[in-house]
Amino acid sequence: MVPIELDFMRMGFVHNMVRIRLTVILIVLFSAFLSFAQTDCTKKVTGRVLDKETSEPLAFATVRVIDSDKGALTDDKGNFILTNICENEFDFEVRFLGYKTVVHHHDFNNRDHVDNDHIVYLAQDENQLESVVVEGEEIIGDLQSMAVVKIDRSQLATQTTQSLASVISDIQGVTFNSTGSNVQLPVIHGLYGNRILIINNGVKHGFQNWGSDHAPEIDIASANNISVLKGAAGVRYGPEALGGVVLVEGNPLTLSKKMYGNVASGYETNGRGYNVNANLGAGYERFSFHVGGSYFKIGDRNSPDYSLTNTGKEERSANVGFRYHLPKWDFKVYYSYIDQDLGLLRSSIAESGDRFSLSIAAAEPLFIRDFSYTINEPNQLTTHHLGKLEVDWHSSIGKFSLLLSQQINSRKEFDVRRNSERPIIDLDLNTTDTKLEWYHPSFGQLEGTFGIQYFAQNNDNNPGTNTTALIPNYNTHRFSAYAIESIKKGKSTYELGLRLDHEYNSARGRELNQDIFRNEFSFTNFTASLGMVRDISDKWQFRTNVGSAWRTPNMAEFYSFGQHGFNVQYGLWRYYTNPEGELRTDRVLTEEDGVTKPEKGYKWINELTFKNNENRFTVTAYSHFIDNFIFDRPIAIIGFFWGPMPVFIYDQADAFFAGTDITYSRVLSKNLKGTIGTSYLWSRNIEKNETLINQPPININTELSWKTPFFLGLTFSKLTLQASYTFRQFQAPRTIAPDQIINREVEINSESEIFDFKDAPDGYFLGHIRWEWKQGKFGGQVEARNVLNTSYRDYLNQMRYFADEIGRNINIQINYSF
Amino acid sequence: MFAKIILLRNMKNFKNYLLIGLIGSAVVFTSCGDDDAPDAENDPEVITDVTLVFTNTADATDVVRASAEDPDGLGTEELEVKDEITLTSGVTYTLTFEIFNNLETPGEDIGDEIKDEDHEHQIFFSFSDGAFEDPRGDGNIDNASDPINYEDEDSDAQDGSGNPVGLVTTWTAGSVLTGGNFTVRLMHQPDEKTATSTATTGEPDFNLPFVLNIQQ
Repeated sequence: MVPIELDFMRMGFVHNMVRIRLTVILIVLFSAFLSFAQTDCTKKVTGRVLDKETSEPLAFATVRVIDSDKGALTDDKGNFILTNICENEFDFEVRFLGYKTVVHHHDFNNRDHVDNDHIVYLAQDENQLESVVVEGEEIIGDLQSMAVVKIDRSQLATQTTQSLASVISDIQGVTFNSTGSNVQLPVIHGLYGNRILIINNGVKHGFQNWGSDHAPEIDIASANNISVLKGAAGVRYGPEALGGVVLVEGNPLTLSKKMYGNVASGYETNGRGYNVNANLGAGYERFSFHVGGSYFKIGDRNSPDYSLTNTGKEERSANVGFRYHLPKWDFKVYYSYIDQDLGLLRSSIAESGDRFSLSIAAAEPLFIRDFSYTINEPNQLTTHHLGKLEVDWHSSIGKFSLLLSQQINSRKEFDVRRNSERPIIDLDLNTTDTKLEWYHPSFGQLEGTFGIQYFAQNNDNNPGTNTTALIPNYNTHRFSAYAIESIKKGKSTYELGLRLDHEYNSARGRELNQDIFRNEFSFTNFTASLGMVRDISDKWQFRTNVGSAWRTPNMAEFYSFGQHGFNVQYGLWRYYTNPEGELRTDRVLTEEDGVTKPEKGYKWINELTFKNNENRFTVTAYSHFIDNFIFDRPIAIIGFFWGPMPVFIYDQADAFFAGTDITYSRVLSKNLKGTIGTSYLWSRNIEKNETLINQPPININTELSWKTPFFLGLTFSKLTLQASYTFRQFQAPRTIAPDQIINREVEINSESEIFDFKDAPDGYFLGHIRWEWKQGKFGGQVEARNVLNTSYRDYLNQMRYFADEIGRNINIQINYSF
Repeated sequence: MFAKIILLRNMKNFKNYLLIGLIGSAVVFTSCGDDDAPDAENDPEVITDVTLVFTNTADATDVVRASAEDPDGLGTEELEVKDEITLTSGVTYTLTFEIFNNLETPGEDIGDEIKDEDHEHQIFFSFSDGAFEDPRGDGNIDNASDPINYEDEDSDAQDGSGNPVGLVTTWTAGSVLTGGNFTVRLMHQPDEKTATSTATTGEPDFNLPFVLNIQQ
């Protein structure tokens, strides 16, 4: 950690000698690049105007440079050219009858704009969508060869009380792993938790990312759009991106944009939840800002047959962003805050194996109380602050981007226990992420990025939990350098990425007798990514990417020790098997015991897309080998004072995943559109040739949307029907009921085949109906989720042991925007 | 490095200060490392040793002890019931408990904790049917209203009337018995302990099956 600190120190107090030498170098450089700075009136801007919904070109749209007489009309392919432009920066607007006008600030200094190939997506007046301008080829995450799916603002606006994971789970191949209805983690191609990197506003979300009961604290109302990268994007985003990346983008802080705002409120019947959110922003010539806030409260949800006691949720959040623009420079400051109180199902607590046996065998949860908004134990209180500063410099030698960020995450978890008023987990996690990137100028067809990154985390237990810390205090420092280059050859673009990470960890914890243990360890890893995009024709496109990613086991995987929820858990360095084959926990292991290696993943992902006016077809196929895959699994039932308890351990084995996601949508008539999708995943522990646990089952879903003409005189009205079938997970481990182990009907040791305590739930069919409308500045929706009120259990929900999922929920939203 | 220096020199003064500020704050961010272990926690959940102490009410020197031990608490070693209980027929005993967490040195008296929170705790018993002259029956684990001679009650009971706790009970041994059973179960019943709460209300803190012998 020391070197980079010194680096920054030196930067802050540049030595005189260095200054003189630099001045000389700079003079030379400036004279060399002087020609670029001169103004003339020969600049031009090109672009294409398309309908946002159908992507069809709009002919005869007006494109006009504001405050001048320069302008153009689009041709029959939607193309336009603005010529003879003198200014380095100017605004132009695009108008088309029946569509929302959009103004765009163009900056010739911006390297991204040099190609100035604009795509203007115009949204129809009565539509809920926004008109937008996209400059250059929109490359999400700089990895063009990777399969990406994007969800934009209009789809997010009506789901503000949902979790991040639930919102993106509509994407094929993406689902969520949960601990009840409030704690949900994204799963991409069977991987979740710290194998999915969550990038919020350009910064890795720094939170307690372990187990399946810690969800990212991200407010959907603050997101402008969310993209999911399904490949191993470790090269671009660093360790932990084995399974994929979720990119949450905030407001883009567009310049030259009239004041805009939105107020929305809603009510949902299941849990009697209510919500309100508002945001306001404006863009001027040099300056733009955005502020937003959201609040919601939901009480106990209910399944079709009973109340799910203590499943309420309360959340408040706020965010604010500023941008200051100078020729060649952009400064952005962003701050967000979120505060959550998440209830967990009361019946999920089982302090003994007998109780656990009873709970999982019971047809109904053991605690059913009348509806209440009150959230009691077990629950989680979290707050998260994110502050970020970003500086972009569009120089003649490319674009430099400096990002500084700091996050403070605090988490308190409460269990039902003797000291329930005290948190059982009370952690503060500070995260620093600092990045400097250089997007170098194109050398012929070669484009690329170089970056260096320093990432640090400091985790502290707050005293007063009256329980031995489940995970230790730790500090992590990571230094990284990476390069991604792409070259275009004919119809193909080839891409290569390389990255080197060095990570240092220091951990301090306590054993049950309160003795202190300490350890320091470091890892150095190399990752690479190789990909290709080929435009086979104007309808067909093919992408392929082979990427590697790695991660060190996280502190919970190393060190967890103790009881939380319904089980006792031992981390990789807290147990060993003695020569007699018995599990032992009498000492804390270190790297010298050689039992633990970093997890390394190699993922090959291919995507073929077909697009014409009526049809859109995407098939994604992937295979993924993970060396030393870490997973937790039931291992035993051990007799404690309070009775026999289920014990889980973290285990490591080589694993293989392969699967496919397919989506096909077709425009059936002018107002009718249908979509069908499916995802299939095969996974296996290839070291022991047995199944893995908690892997997503096969799923098929369909959607039919119909723009109803002239309904109730509304300018826009759309009805959407969704139906999905989720199969039973046939790759689940064998089942051994807790009773069978307690009564010694089955002998289990650490070499035994993997098992689970309960059968994977049966397949289920779900139906949803949604009606959206818009009239002038007002809009809204009425949605019935699980409209058939089906009773079902989700294999990826930890609560499947105890209770059904939530039943029918009717959600009414109304919003006013200007 | 080179890129950053160009960045630094190319700016006007105020921007220069701004960047130094940014970099300065990065230094502040990175210097928050520390080397502290978590504070030691007094862990009242952990019980490693429970001893049942039967004292003859007529002769305080006549004491029968039986203990159970789980030496590593939440570790993998199983709970072990170490002694059989051997009482004398016709004798009346007071049963008290020694409950300790011996992972800590010196051991921590968990019995005191339970006494402090007696409105949240109750000890239930089950035994071979008819093993005792008093109480009769097979104990109150199966049916909470079955007789047990509780000699204590909680202090700040939620429903106003003192409810039994079970840290002190009396027992009069019945006729000769070999290889019978005697189970004690301490239930933790936060906000749930009432006059009608049972041996399945709340969560067990311990549940110990002893072998019971009664000699002549």
